[in-house]
Amino acid sequence: MFPIVQMHSIVKVYPYTLLKANDHVDLTLNEREILSLAGENGAGKTTLMKILYGMEEFDEGMIEVDGKKVNISSPLDAARLGIGMVQQHVTLVDEFTVAQNVVLGKENTVHHLLYDERKNSSKVATLIEENHFSVEPDALVGSLSVGEKQQVEILKMLYRDVRVLILDEPTAVLTSQEIDALFSTLRSLQSKGVSIILITHKLHEILEISDRVAIMRQGAMIGTYETSLVDEQSIGRMMMGETAAVPAKILTSIDSDRIVLSVDHVSIERHNQKQPLLDDIHFDLFRGEILGCTGISGNGLGQLESVLLGELPISKGKIFYHDTILSSEHKRARTREIGLPFVPSDRLYTGSSLTAPVSENMIATSREKFFPPFGIRKRKIQAYTRQLISRYKIKSEPYQAIGTLSGGNIQKVILAREIEKVKDVIICCEPTWGLDASSASFIHEQIIKLRNSGIGVLLLSSNLDEIISLSDRLLIFSRGAVVARFGVGEVSTMTKESLGPFLLGKAVRVKRGKM
Amino acid sequence: MNKKIECYNPVIYMLRSMVGLIFIVFVSLVALVGFSYYLSETPDKTIYYFFNGPFLSLYDFGNMINMAVPLIIGGLGISLAFRSGSMNIGGEGQLYFGALIATLTVIALEPLGRAGAVIAIFVAMMSSGILAGISGVLRYRWNTNVLITSFLISNAVVLIVNYLITGPFDDPLTNLFSTQPIPETAELSYILPPSNLNTSLIVAVAAVFIIHALMYRSRTGFELRMYGDNPRFAKYAGVNVMYYQIMPMFVSGAMYALAGSLSIFGTYHATIKDFSSGMGWNALAVALIARYRPFAVIPAALFFAYIESGARSAMLYSDVTFELSSIVQATVFFLVSSVTLQRLGLKKRRI
Repeated sequence: MFPIVQMHSIVKVYPYTLLKANDHVDLTLNEREILSLAGENGAGKTTLMKILYGMEEFDEGMIEVDGKKVNISSPLDAARLGIGMVQQHVTLVDEFTVAQNVVLGKENTVHHLLYDERKNSSKVATLIEENHFSVEPDALVGSLSVGEKQQVEILKMLYRDVRVLILDEPTAVLTSQEIDALFSTLRSLQSKGVSIILITHKLHEILEISDRVAIMRQGAMIGTYETSLVDEQSIGRMMMGETAAVPAKILTSIDSDRIVLSVDHVSIERHNQKQPLLDDIHFDLFRGEILGCTGISGNGLGQLESVLLGELPISKGKIFYHDTILSSEHKRARTREIGLPFVPSDRLYTGSSLTAPVSENMIATSREKFFPPFGIRKRKIQAYTRQLISRYKIKSEPYQAIGTLSGGNIQKVILAREIEKVKDVIICCEPTWGLDASSASFIHEQIIKLRNSGIGVLLLSSNLDEIISLSDRLLIFSRGAVVARFGVGEVSTMTKESLGPFLLGKAVRVKRGKM
Repeated sequence: MNKKIECYNPVIYMLRSMVGLIFIVFVSLVALVGFSYYLSETPDKTIYYFFNGPFLSLYDFGNMINMAVPLIIGGLGISLAFRSGSMNIGGEGQLYFGALIATLTVIALEPLGRAGAVIAIFVAMMSSGILAGISGVLRYRWNTNVLITSFLISNAVVLIVNYLITGPFDDPLTNLFSTQPIPETAELSYILPPSNLNTSLIVAVAAVFIIHALMYRSRTGFELRMYGDNPRFAKYAGVNVMYYQIMPMFVSGAMYALAGSLSIFGTYHATIKDFSSGMGWNALAVALIARYRPFAVIPAALFFAYIESGARSAMLYSDVTFELSSIVQATVFFLVSSVTLQRLGLKKRRI
């Protein structure tokens, strides 16, 4: 076994958030092997691979290819070394044909000038045949399914003669048949001498396809193991670490007369696609409970957030806040106009205005309190900000631009701002994503406090630890639909392993009607 | 991670933020000196009159201040619009159009005297406001690019106004392409005779305070800045998107009209063809130099006026043409649009 790529002691710290995405990470990829890079959301897998592909700069460390130290500062450098990456989200030109997309940037030309339609097309056709792909070279990419688009992405890499192929969560959006086809493609590539790194967090896929598995957790490399020597349980344990202590739950029953927020058979259909983005989502949120929603990314949580934020219009159904209709068919939800407390998952660009001072961010969603008909209550703003800064233990000054704070402190500002205006409901999306442990547990305490004071909390999170330890009731999303519902008392008996089949859409547990 | 959080001291920050600006002004003045040696037979004289000309007499000094007035007013409108992300670059047309509307209205309302002038200015502001507002509406309705629509509309309007001045509203009594003069009762009184400086200066200074209050002391201003900083965040916080796409356009158009009509009432006393050529762009450059802060608009406008009147006296007493000022202004305009240069004195930020 000859190592083709070696990454030594890679350190990557993100500016603004100062999040340590990679903390002295070592990785070796051998020739002709399929290596799985496993870890939970935010473990630093994608960052590490983006560094290898030249899309991210790193702060410390060294990369060797074929035993020689190399400098990869752009994807172009990576391509020269034969390294290719298929991003999680396809980046293709919908209006171009498959062949045009594949050759883009490296076209065959007539006299170095004109695009050679026939030659390009036939070359891509040969490539498709050699690899047993199913796409047509002259089909428009816009008309392809997600799985086929991914084939095009892989073709793009093969056309460039990559020796190292990186795939970022390729199976997240595929059907099980498509996954089987992808895996057989990968195996045949392996036999042709291509080395493959597969970013994934699906345990059975790791065991099925890879020779070795490298496991990351919270930016650090836990270890690399021969797949034949490990099982799902041990990989899972290494990915997730020791489970955090579960805060005591007080709630044992739910008063069903106290519905605050109600999502009534909401669907989002897509043009020309059978699979809807959201498929008949139906739930009620009560006062004094935490209703958790979870799912693997790309399975509907993001869409649900967009709907609740009022970014996406819904195709069917209704959303109520008490008796007020927030949204109905073909409308965007009026959540923001009404001003329901909302902690968005995108804290840097949706949840805050990075160049504005902390004080302005702090009052942004409760402006009416600080602006009389004419003028501004500057002193009140200052005092209010200082008060929240000390109450939520935020490390900052009121006039500091919020972009200069760490991720945890930015999130605390957002949380403080939204909690201050809570009446009876709050929506929290990925509240602790990418945060250090102490900020995360502080935020968890705040959420539990809210629940205990009789507030209805809707928690959208892909962090299973968080979901299991906080939720009173739990909905699991897969492919845009709710595939499992767990009621009061049931969630605490669940473990991450037992949720697995539901998350992957392999098992279904839905009681029809209201729960 | 032991990273120090960037400490924020408002005074130091302001001084640091000036570094880039001083550099830009310096480069443009060096360019001026260079061009003087290249273009002029008597470069010493050219440079002397360029720098000192505006201060040689009360007449020159007053005219310089007067030149700054429309730049201040227009620059205020642009500051507000750009701060909210509405890139209105149709100032040329809006100013010219406003001036013509004000002239025609005040002539029609002659019997009302002073009240007629006030009404005329109001009507002009409304008209140009709507003219600019169209771009805002198009953006809200069909997501068009304000930069392009405002520019195109303005270019068309300039041609239409030219037609109206040279055709239907041409005053046959003058040799100039010009409308009839406005009634004498509507003329603004002079402050510093024999120069052209007039009471419009008071309006300009008052406008600085009003626009400052609007941008930094009101809820509207807060929401406007929020929308300018990060539209996604503003939307999330429940800000009325339609309002902040249209209102800033309207206000900047109206301010241009105010600048145009005060120039007519105070200085030109009739809409002369091409009288405002360049004013719209210069007001925009002024706003860029001032970085959209109303109080900084005054010195920025004075700087532009200084260059222009300097070039005027260099033209009068030496052998260069008036285009010399355009070179300096163009250099400033070009350099000031560079964010990197503007942030020269500030710490680099890793993105």
